[in-house]
Amino acid sequence: MDVNRRDVLKALMGGSAVAAVATAGLPVAKAGKPESFAVEPDALGLMYDATKCIGCRACMPACQNANGLKPDTGGSGGLYMQPDSLNANTKNLITLYTAADGHERSFMKKQCMHCVDPACVSGCPMEALHKEPHGVVGWNPTLCIGCRYCQVACPFNVPKFEWDKVNPKIVKCELCRHIVGTSATEPACTKVCPTHAVIYGKRTDLLAEAHRRIKEKPGFYFEDRVYGETEAGGTQCLVLSHVDYTNLGLPKLGKESAPAQERRVNDFVYRGFLTPVVVYGGIVAIVRNRWKDHLKHGDKPGSGEAHEEEKRA
Amino acid sequence: MTEHWERCIRLKEPLKTKPFLIFAGLAGLGLLLGLYREVTGLGYVTGLNDGYSWGLFKNWNVTALTALGSGGYAVAVLAWIFNEKRFHPIMRTAVLTSLVGYGTGMLALGFDVGRPWNFVWLADPRTWNHYSVLWEVAVCMTAYFMLALDVENMPPFLEKLYRSDDPAKKEKALKIFRFMQKTFPFGIALAFVLPSMHQSSLGSLMYLAGTRVHPLWQTALLPLLYLLMAYILGFACVLLVLALSSYAWDLGWDADILGRLAQVMSWMSLVWIGIRIGDLVNRGVVGMAFAFDKFSLYFLLETALVLLPALMLLSRSQREAPGSLFRLTFLTAMGGLFYRFTPTTLAFSPLGDYRYFPSVAEIFMSIGFTALAVAVFLFAVKTFAILPASQGKIAAEEAMRPFDTL
Repeated sequence: MDVNRRDVLKALMGGSAVAAVATAGLPVAKAGKPESFAVEPDALGLMYDATKCIGCRACMPACQNANGLKPDTGGSGGLYMQPDSLNANTKNLITLYTAADGHERSFMKKQCMHCVDPACVSGCPMEALHKEPHGVVGWNPTLCIGCRYCQVACPFNVPKFEWDKVNPKIVKCELCRHIVGTSATEPACTKVCPTHAVIYGKRTDLLAEAHRRIKEKPGFYFEDRVYGETEAGGTQCLVLSHVDYTNLGLPKLGKESAPAQERRVNDFVYRGFLTPVVVYGGIVAIVRNRWKDHLKHGDKPGSGEAHEEEKRA
Repeated sequence: MTEHWERCIRLKEPLKTKPFLIFAGLAGLGLLLGLYREVTGLGYVTGLNDGYSWGLFKNWNVTALTALGSGGYAVAVLAWIFNEKRFHPIMRTAVLTSLVGYGTGMLALGFDVGRPWNFVWLADPRTWNHYSVLWEVAVCMTAYFMLALDVENMPPFLEKLYRSDDPAKKEKALKIFRFMQKTFPFGIALAFVLPSMHQSSLGSLMYLAGTRVHPLWQTALLPLLYLLMAYILGFACVLLVLALSSYAWDLGWDADILGRLAQVMSWMSLVWIGIRIGDLVNRGVVGMAFAFDKFSLYFLLETALVLLPALMLLSRSQREAPGSLFRLTFLTAMGGLFYRFTPTTLAFSPLGDYRYFPSVAEIFMSIGFTALAVAVFLFAVKTFAILPASQGKIAAEEAMRPFDTL
């Protein structure tokens, strides 16, 4: 009947990885193998070589047309297409970086990076954002609840939301999956690019091509590396440039994706949902004893009122 | 002046007092704005944008305020698991604060999602993404609100039913009560497991945002820190509600119950500070705390607001004086809410040039949801026997406790 604190603590400590054990357990979990989604062998993507881009922006209207988007003319006063960032009408954007001294310049093509292990897909509660065949990150309007967690999670700040609509959609590059293989053989942006600054293909082929270019001109590309090979667990869209990638708006990211990190923590704590079940069982056992005791010493149904009436009488 | 709270009483006061009408009015305004948002779109009503796509509704009403609504969870652990029987008289107040806190948080969530009609797919398990922390939060919070909290809040309602003059209703109340006698422990255990899961998951939510959250906050321990803070804020909320109720309706002051609650809260705050600082040292970012940029100032303010009241509440005299207990608990609550809110908004940096400040309509909606929680609370304590009172008070007021459950 008395408080059996040891039982309580045992049940809490044993099962309650939900809380306390997480602290002690993390280093152990880290020692285990990182559970990262592997690159699909036939994963498709883009490779953008900023040093070949002439900034003609032909890819931008091509993208609008292929995706049925209204041109964002806000920056030009309605005259021509001039979006200042990716937005609900812009899935693809060419920007220009100029260093403070004015000498170093580079174009940059912004669109969904089609991560190997995307944070948006991992976070999406309803599998509205999902991996299509060939690793393309697609969005399914019939499942999306509009929670916008993809926007919070994406390290590249890519998914956009139609803020002024009652029936808002998530807008982002889906690698022209609605036309590639049927009416087109490649995405609209790669098709129109006059200098082949952006090319389309299998990720393995694109990576090989990137490394070939790096080898051909050692010291030319930034740090002799291709952005997206390892960043955040790898991306299927790759970028080459001669300037620091962070200047192009590409964040410094570790080799392990944020979803992989999160899965490791969660898998350790939840253990395939075993932890909550064990904790639940333990708590039921404890509370049942308390409850029996409570009923014995507490009032029977109705007796409380009788008790009061007695008192008054 | 200290009294001994034993049972629960219904407040014999007309419902439509001035404060109630003010809160109900604010709630009505918030809901009207919510309706306007439903026919126009989020962009017209809120200050949200593609960089800061989560704002007041999710980050304040849900992430921060449901921690304040964890009173039922936190006090139940003391009352049922650690068997501190003195807390039973305040359990009804505690679980009611949770019910209104979560209810209005979920209402805010309903207005925040852009495509709510697709919620119907939650009924189809094939669409569930088990890896998604947000899915876990959504399902787990709904289950807590729809199942566990309702079971916990049942006894006052059953009492009311039992006291009706209709014998059929009386019989029904007894029937449900007998069923509950057998099943209550399962409900209480559920009311422990579910909040443990989603209150920690609310921290995991921001863990997925990776480098976008400032290193002073971004850590694998976010779930643990968020969970512990839910306890601290849960205790704080119950303390504040009881202190205000005691002041407003002359319930007396049970220094034993309130002092002990404050004591546990201060211990937990110190444990929390220990883990928080230990984590910063472990990750080697403790220097950032003294960079004296805006992040460092947020951190120092938050730490001071949690640490200083906790240290002062270690002293018995501070805990026993109603005034100082109220003020220190209030500071703790401010610090805790600040911590729960910061990683989601103030320490969150999307790429690119984005700024977020809530619009006036958004602020009024957010206030409206909270006002709704207060209005429902006021309605409940004047309809059911919820608030604790001493024996003398019980004799004077309407004694309503035929079901001694919570």
